[in-house]
Amino acid sequence: MKLFVFIQHEEGKINSVSLEALQGAHDIAEKSGGTISAITFNSKIVEQLSGYNLNEILVIENQQLENYNPLIYVKAMEDVLAATSQYILLLGHSYEARDWVPRLSARLDIPFISDCIGFKYDMGLTLVRSVYQGKFNEEISTDSGAFIVSFQSGAFKSDALKPGSASVRDISVDLTNVPNSIQPGEKFQELESSVDLSQADVIVAVGRGIGKEENLSMARELATALKAELASSRPVVDSGWLEPFHQVGSSGQNVSPKLYLALGISGAIQHVVGMNNSKNIVVINKDVNAPIFEIADYGIVGDIFEIVPKLIAAIQNS
Amino acid sequence: MKICVLIKQVPDKDSPLVISDNNLSVSNDNITWVSNESDNYALEEALLLKEAHGGEVVACTLGGKSSIQVLKDAMAKGADRSIFISDSYFDTLDVLSISKIFASALQNENFDLIMSGLQSDDHGSSQLGILLAELMNMSHASLVMGTKIIDDKTIKVKRELEGGWFQWTTLSLPASISIQSGINIPRYATLKGIMMVKNKTVDELNKESMPRLDLSAQVSLKNMSIPEKSKETVFIDGSPDEIVEKLVNVLNNEIKIMR
Amino acid sequence: MTEKDRQKLEVDVLFVGAGSASLAGALHLKRISKNANLDISIAIIEKAREIGAHSLSGAIIDPRSLNELIPDYLDLDVPFEAKVSEENMYYLSSERAFRFPYIPKSMSHHGCYVASLGKFVRWLGNICESEGIDIFCGFSGSELLYDNETIIGVRTGDRGIDKNGKPKPNFDQGVDIHAKVTLLGEGARGSLSKTLIKHHDLMKNKNPQVWAIGVKELWQMPKDSVKPGYVAHTMGYPLGHDIFGGSFIYGMKNDILDIGLVVGLDYQNPRIDPHHELQLLKTHPWVRSLLKDGKMISYGAKSLPEGGYYSLPKLMVSGAMLIGDSAGFMNGQRLKGIHLAMKSGIEAAKTILSALQKNDFSESALSDFQKKVDNSWIKEELFKVRNFHQAFGMGLIPGMVNAGLGLITGGRGWGIINRLNSKHGHEHLRPLNTDSDFTKYTELSYDGKYLFDKVTNIYHSATSHNEDQVPHLHIQDTNICITRCTEEYGNPCENFCPADVYEMTGKGDARRLQINFSNCVHCKTCDIMDPYQIIDWLPPEGGDGPSWINL
Repeated sequence: MKLFVFIQHEEGKINSVSLEALQGAHDIAEKSGGTISAITFNSKIVEQLSGYNLNEILVIENQQLENYNPLIYVKAMEDVLAATSQYILLLGHSYEARDWVPRLSARLDIPFISDCIGFKYDMGLTLVRSVYQGKFNEEISTDSGAFIVSFQSGAFKSDALKPGSASVRDISVDLTNVPNSIQPGEKFQELESSVDLSQADVIVAVGRGIGKEENLSMARELATALKAELASSRPVVDSGWLEPFHQVGSSGQNVSPKLYLALGISGAIQHVVGMNNSKNIVVINKDVNAPIFEIADYGIVGDIFEIVPKLIAAIQNS
Repeated sequence: MKICVLIKQVPDKDSPLVISDNNLSVSNDNITWVSNESDNYALEEALLLKEAHGGEVVACTLGGKSSIQVLKDAMAKGADRSIFISDSYFDTLDVLSISKIFASALQNENFDLIMSGLQSDDHGSSQLGILLAELMNMSHASLVMGTKIIDDKTIKVKRELEGGWFQWTTLSLPASISIQSGINIPRYATLKGIMMVKNKTVDELNKESMPRLDLSAQVSLKNMSIPEKSKETVFIDGSPDEIVEKLVNVLNNEIKIMR
Repeated sequence: MTEKDRQKLEVDVLFVGAGSASLAGALHLKRISKNANLDISIAIIEKAREIGAHSLSGAIIDPRSLNELIPDYLDLDVPFEAKVSEENMYYLSSERAFRFPYIPKSMSHHGCYVASLGKFVRWLGNICESEGIDIFCGFSGSELLYDNETIIGVRTGDRGIDKNGKPKPNFDQGVDIHAKVTLLGEGARGSLSKTLIKHHDLMKNKNPQVWAIGVKELWQMPKDSVKPGYVAHTMGYPLGHDIFGGSFIYGMKNDILDIGLVVGLDYQNPRIDPHHELQLLKTHPWVRSLLKDGKMISYGAKSLPEGGYYSLPKLMVSGAMLIGDSAGFMNGQRLKGIHLAMKSGIEAAKTILSALQKNDFSESALSDFQKKVDNSWIKEELFKVRNFHQAFGMGLIPGMVNAGLGLITGGRGWGIINRLNSKHGHEHLRPLNTDSDFTKYTELSYDGKYLFDKVTNIYHSATSHNEDQVPHLHIQDTNICITRCTEEYGNPCENFCPADVYEMTGKGDARRLQINFSNCVHCKTCDIMDPYQIIDWLPPEGGDGPSWINL
């Protein structure tokens, strides 16, 4: 089986979700046999890539590929894949991938099974997706000779990638006739008046246990130290201590970050349904009977006012 | 401005969902059906564009019999007419095949804009709008948080990128854009609007009434299941200092979020 | 937006509330007016997002009204669960269940159907719409419109107002719906009905209306373990002898078990908590055995009128009429009201047709409705049980004796008195006795499997409200909450609300009443039971509230 992994780059650095997809490729190859070729549109990351265990790195260097443009990317990939009829193209499910890969799927008339959380292999590959807002998993397979798969952030861990060496091959593509109908502009940042918590990697969340509004500063400090977003359960918002967009739960946002650190949250079901798909849940609550411990990966029965300041200091020192 | 809005009927978030006995679908009993959330925002954006620039807004859906409700709701809010694509044959098709059905249904309409919600709350492939762009030779943009018509050939859209970044992208019309929730505040269907629905047309299409479609549907759903939650809570204890030390260790080496 | 901009809609007949009374009334009116060659416009406004979303009952439906309105209801796939196949009555002690060997005919449900009211009204609503009746969901009736003392219609609620009372960008001003006659079918303790009754003194010379709250859960049981049509009613545990009420347990299709508790809202102890009473019911060994291996899937609560015949208000004023539970057409003894609600709608339709033909909607023209009610089986049925509820205030045994004597004397109180009086339910509340220890609920331990705290139950009630709006529960004087009420009754709102809406938070000077309005299931218990009668339940933004499918 021929596996291609598209490695997305950002400012000359490899996007971490692409590396996770590479791990996914390795796991699949382990079961199915096959070769793994990485595809990159930027030669700056080749050096780092060549340290991983891969068969081949295909480098497509073209001035038009320097900045992301979906039509350019689609044409480039179309050219790269033209020589192969049976393959699986794997990617990390980034915002960028969401934008161009469906177009590639229609261009090549091959299925794109997106945002997968894992796979099964039993005489054939089955992809697993989380559907209905995390309520169910669906298992999908295809008998198409070529198809595309993207993996959700966190589906695989990139730190287990084996080192190795890979040969590098330059591929040229013809981007001269790509229409100019999509012209992305300059990137800019905005002072956020609200945050899309569903995209956060790390969340520090507070509940009633925070006690009073003044104590929020402690939680904010921890969030800063962890480069996290601040969130809360309903009562904190109801008391007017935080704006509604911080609320996680059935009448707030649905989140599934890599880490959800819950401080003084009891775990009422209305809150839990908004965050129980988080990859790692760490709970600090002084009530050992708080329902939230049932869904915690790591639980600390303790006083948040004793532990959190020390935690902040320890993080800042490390 | 001729605008098409794609709206999907999905189960309400609070509906108790149950997997059917065949493990291949969600049971339709006890479901409160609603219009997909981000599609509501797309509809509102389309109505705002029509109010500013004139033209026509056409709502379109593909689904079972009950889906016609999303079209009625859209027309009650101000969509001028609707297209209802429904056939049991379409029920289990994958999104690439579905996009071909839409492309066939909409090919003669010559829309300037096709607007859809970013992602549906059921299967959430978030591909339809973009697939259509390719099939119908339109430009496209996803994760759109703002729209600005420049002239009758150009639209600028504000796209949301990762990590709090944005960009304005210029698109030549016709364009297919997928809209992010929160872009606007959707209006209510007024009493007057609901009463006017009676005078608006719904074109119904099924497999027979559409040109022959090349649906080489190759994707199949093998199984649906409830995710297993095998959770063993690891309790970290000791003095506060010991707890913090162990926790930092976990954050660094187990969860690996501090790099 | 100014008053000048306010949109108006003209219809011939307006119904408020798409429940069984309004739907039956609208359908019958449409048909008889068509037969009389009158083409009239009928509109129904309903505050829920869809028909049935705010409907809750046991229920056991007597098909008597359906036989009149839609005789071929079985052919039209009426969504009944099953004909009542097995009836049981139990007296529960705290540990045991004593089955009554015999059920008197007047309390039998033979020939009736176990049903979900939500499913039923959705079915009925579809028939109404197919026959040209306009049903507007997501529109609440917020104000009665007057021309002097004549009702000329209803103003719907504004939508898109933020929590500070300011219009949002999508502000949609309420519409004035003008109608020749307006029928209030809002259910028990309807908000417009309450205003109408008060303004026109419609309870003059009547017994005050008294209500009960029904709290229920639906349970998904293992395959083939529930017999559709199974009916059981219990008394005794957990309410004991001092609180009116009892439980109902019905078998529905697809192995759903419907279990609920009716608690009379005329109890004395302000610490009584209907939700907790339902949880206690499930600790009973016999009840627990029925729920084994099941999963709770839905929760809801609603009030029901128990006062009976003498608590019916005057049913009409110029331009408006009261039907269904808003008037109080419920048979407390049979625990059935849906057939009576429908019949009241049907009789109202007949009155309205004559009114339309004469173009006279004055009170005297509409008083024909009272005559129709009195000449129909509504009075025949309700008159026989006219004194049923009144004696329960003295305890379970006296209540049963009175009921029994009523059975054999065509409804006389204690067998000899034509009319027993009563007082308002909230007036039964006695001030807190701080000396006595109330421990009834201290042993309740919520395992999340069979017993649930309010917050968990509320999650399963599929209730949601737009958070950014002015709370719809108006307290006329919140000062009373933190002073008099705390001392006298211990803030019973925290207990009688089945949805944790009312919460006393803070300590000392910071103590205040917090209203978690978005939990509200629209049961109206607070409006009914508040000892100072300072709570006004007003409709929230149209479309908000529960999304019940089959309660």
